[in-house]
Amino acid sequence: MASLSRRRFLAAAALSSLGGCVGRRSGGRSEQSVSDQSAGGPPTTHTVPTADERLPLPMEPAELRQQARSGGPPKDGIPSIDEPTFAAAGDVDYLSPGDPVFGVTRGDTAKAYPQKILAHHEIVNDELAGTNVAVTYCPLTGTVQGFERRGTTFGVSGRLINANLVMYDRATEAWWPQILATAIPGPWNENPEIRSLREFRLVWTTWERWRAHRPKTRILSTDTGHSRNYQNDPYGSYNPIGGYYENDSLLFPALNESDRFPKKTVVLGARTADGAVAFPKNALRSNRTMTGVLGATPVLAVFDPRLETGYVYLNPEEQTYELDGETVVGPDGTSHAPDELPLARVHTFDAMWFAWAGYYPDTNVYE
Amino acid sequence: MSDHSALGRSKAVIAKIRAATVLTVRRRDARRVAATVTVAYLLLYLWALGHLAPGLGGYSLTIVEVPLSKLFRPALGPLAFTPVATVELGPLTYLFSLNSIIGLGLAVLVGLNLGLTYLVWTQPRACGLGRSSTGFIASIPAILSGTACCGPVVLIVLGIQASGVLLTTFQFLLPISVVLLLGSLVLVARQIDPQQIDSVR
Repeated sequence: MASLSRRRFLAAAALSSLGGCVGRRSGGRSEQSVSDQSAGGPPTTHTVPTADERLPLPMEPAELRQQARSGGPPKDGIPSIDEPTFAAAGDVDYLSPGDPVFGVTRGDTAKAYPQKILAHHEIVNDELAGTNVAVTYCPLTGTVQGFERRGTTFGVSGRLINANLVMYDRATEAWWPQILATAIPGPWNENPEIRSLREFRLVWTTWERWRAHRPKTRILSTDTGHSRNYQNDPYGSYNPIGGYYENDSLLFPALNESDRFPKKTVVLGARTADGAVAFPKNALRSNRTMTGVLGATPVLAVFDPRLETGYVYLNPEEQTYELDGETVVGPDGTSHAPDELPLARVHTFDAMWFAWAGYYPDTNVYE
Repeated sequence: MSDHSALGRSKAVIAKIRAATVLTVRRRDARRVAATVTVAYLLLYLWALGHLAPGLGGYSLTIVEVPLSKLFRPALGPLAFTPVATVELGPLTYLFSLNSIIGLGLAVLVGLNLGLTYLVWTQPRACGLGRSSTGFIASIPAILSGTACCGPVVLIVLGIQASGVLLTTFQFLLPISVVLLLGSLVLVARQIDPQQIDSVR
């Protein structure tokens, strides 16, 4: 089955390339899924779901490609998990309370992906409440990103840009740098449509906090289909913090340099077509709420003590919200959970400062 | 004449390598040194690769599906292969991959070199060997080759930023090491007096 799917995707990619304009036009733009023809005919290219709005790129796509460098492993040398299995929270014994997990809730479904496992695989092709998704983690930049996928799956290209994971999707073989979440040309697809993926938030928190928050969560199991030692993170450790995650050394250069903060300082970053903004996580923890500007729009960052994370909201009317314990009190006196203010949320994720500033050198940052 | 001469020289070299190996294996003290170094080197190699490390605990053996097809698949780099089995040994976890076999081969070469070097330094005349540090010097690249499979990890430890040249260099450490180790066996073997070998035997 997997082998057949692989051959089908490769055939589709090849046909798409051979098709030229036809392939390009049909790829990426169409939001509707087309079922495969049952009688003869080439398999239909599975499109990658993309967002309406394109995210900002720090340079032209072709220039970004030139910045790509080998991280050592070849294509799929770091294997994605394509058939993940999950366990009930009470059934796992390999996680310590302080171990990082990346949690997501959608509908009645709550899932946690341990950093320990994703450090070895970087990408999990999964399904979340009926939607095909890819959960991705780049150890070198400390970024977790969720993306929607349709029939395609994502893999690790083995290349890095700005020390950040460059994914590829197996249907179109286009490159998708993880932080930029936007297609760029690469050696396996010279002319992809330059569009951005549909993102969703995974919360970087600890196993202890996530279990308390979502007691019925399911957690990715170590039965990944691969032989790896998930107690041995090749880059260092987060619990306690050490190695690459703590020192001020880089393994690969950033696109742009910034000495505003130590390189591995964790910021909560948000970017739209209008600009980028970052809030150092420690500053947000201290301040509880912070204001800033994203592009030309005022934004509000809110700390969530339940999960030790934060959220960024568009706040064009600059309303005042204050964190009171675990709830946020609005200007009209009503209380809200930190992740449920009556404001438009902007997609936000943790990132090491060097990587955020490397990709978004003009970012606003507040402390 | 020249072909015959080259072939003759090759045979002579092979004979000397065999003689050196036999000598190392037959002398109890040299054998002990060689075995100890072989085991120590293999453990160090696997540890450097991350294939021998504290694990999740328990005792179990897990083999991936279709292990043979994955055995030759590169992982972290051209000479770092995909693990196909996991052995949990209580506090330790061992990952089996093609690198275990490569590491064993390297370890044997290092062990033989150091075993011979030991003989050279302790009993040069009795074994018909000249004094030489060739074996020891040639072992250094072999030890470094353990880093070839996990260059990025070594860079983390040393805090060095990777460059294309550096990563490429890591790839050559393994073949260079093998050549140097075999070369040092040949060089040491050249100093063996066959008649002395016979008398020892």
